[in-house]
Amino acid sequence: MSISPANKAITGWMFTAAMAHAQWVHYPTAGIPRNAGGQPNLSAPAPRASDGKPDLSGIWEVEHNRPCPPEGCTDMWIPEEFLNIGWSLKGGLPYQPWAAAIVKQRVAENRIHDPNSKCLPTGMVRMYTTPLFRKIVQTPGLILILNEREAMYRQIFTDGRPLPVDPQPSWIGYSTGKWEGDTLVVQTSGFRDDLWLDANGSPLTESGKIAERIKRVNVGKLEIEITVDDPKAYTSPWMVKLTQLLAPDTELLDYYCAENEKDGPHLVAK
Amino acid sequence: MRERIILTWLLIAAIPAPAQWFKLTTPGIPRTADGRPNLSAPAPRGPDGKPVLSGIWQMNGKYLQDIASDLKPGEVPYQPWAEQLFNSRRNGAAGKNDPAARCIPGMPKLDALPYPFKIIESPGMVMMLFEGFTTFRQIFTDGRELPKDPNPAWFGYSTGKWEGDDWVVNTIGIRAETWLDNAGRPHSDALRLIERFQRRDFGHMDILLTIDDPKAYTKPWRVKEDLRLIPDTELLEYVCNENNKDYEHLTGK
Repeated sequence: MSISPANKAITGWMFTAAMAHAQWVHYPTAGIPRNAGGQPNLSAPAPRASDGKPDLSGIWEVEHNRPCPPEGCTDMWIPEEFLNIGWSLKGGLPYQPWAAAIVKQRVAENRIHDPNSKCLPTGMVRMYTTPLFRKIVQTPGLILILNEREAMYRQIFTDGRPLPVDPQPSWIGYSTGKWEGDTLVVQTSGFRDDLWLDANGSPLTESGKIAERIKRVNVGKLEIEITVDDPKAYTSPWMVKLTQLLAPDTELLDYYCAENEKDGPHLVAK
Repeated sequence: MRERIILTWLLIAAIPAPAQWFKLTTPGIPRTADGRPNLSAPAPRGPDGKPVLSGIWQMNGKYLQDIASDLKPGEVPYQPWAEQLFNSRRNGAAGKNDPAARCIPGMPKLDALPYPFKIIESPGMVMMLFEGFTTFRQIFTDGRELPKDPNPAWFGYSTGKWEGDDWVVNTIGIRAETWLDNAGRPHSDALRLIERFQRRDFGHMDILLTIDDPKAYTKPWRVKEDLRLIPDTELLEYVCNENNKDYEHLTGK
């Protein structure tokens, strides 16, 4: 087995990166079942909160379902859904004609107007397909999602309040959740009219409503069924299933897009 | 008079827009006979007997502008270079150099933003969710030590523990280029912040803040920042990078 110079370089770089992060970032996660060797047992049954419901708490990352490019994987290893949220659907997303046209245009323009490229929030859905960590913290009455990207948070209220009727449009929406058996069912609405659901620019408009069914299959895996109902942009509601994998024994790091942003002026349309 | 009519109109117009969710009844707040929050009631206590800090709070805005606004002239013990740098930043001369101009406020400015933040106490960790910049701090209370040589971070690394009725938060590892306040007081990579959260009563809290940075200041110095509880509401979204037109108009490098 020979190792190419490129692979060596990547391996060397990975070791350096591991050293730099050698504090807290390798802090053991409390409460994870472990095997005799101390390794997390990711296939153990999902943990439960004090109210008997599954505990979704933990640091989660995307499932790597997209092959690495020939030059090797990078530390921003995107899943298929990052580019096309409807990747797993036969026939793709049921775009309204204007939505299909705008996606075609956005891809042709090399995604130059992607809000992500301007350091704006990922918003709902894209938050789950971003190849950075997010931490779920389940507390009584409120579930939080703390995103590494832009250190932004999302609140899901589980205290029984209704969704607001006519809220200020927002990037992340307004979310309430309730348990149906072992599944957390989250309803979100109140979006801006100009959101992108993926890097291809699949739109989400202010008429959009998103339902999530979140299930912790075991210690190591979260399954999220996302149903997008946005009659302005799509001819029918559609559902995709995202998998999130537990990242044990680590902690969130800083990631600020605007920290030293030099890309903007160099982005060009094809 | 005309101005007053217009002002009243504006106020009325402004009320219906955030009238959702953001006027809700926060449970567990003691109320007066007419249903209004009794903000001078005693501070609530948890099952462990410690004051409960959870709730939505907002700091007195003057500390963002000038963290030393309650100190007398000469009471900030600058090292010479730090005083020189501070003077060069006066009157907005270097606003562009403040990372907050690029939407990254740093600490302790984050606590002092003139927008509400929410404290959530959870086993092993306290979270602070900030409306300003829609960002958060994690303060670990699970007994872990502060990291020895961490990657510098915009809000640093924080652990908290109780000392009597004070909740004491230690923070290190804050990136050196952030400013302590809008006036431009600097700090170095040696900065250690010690925040003592003291909930005075239901509606009022102080943060006794110690700035311990031997590279930038000749001795640790203290300020007392006051906060008030913001009841019956919820955080809104605030995205600084959205339509940020300030940066290009600021002066500095």
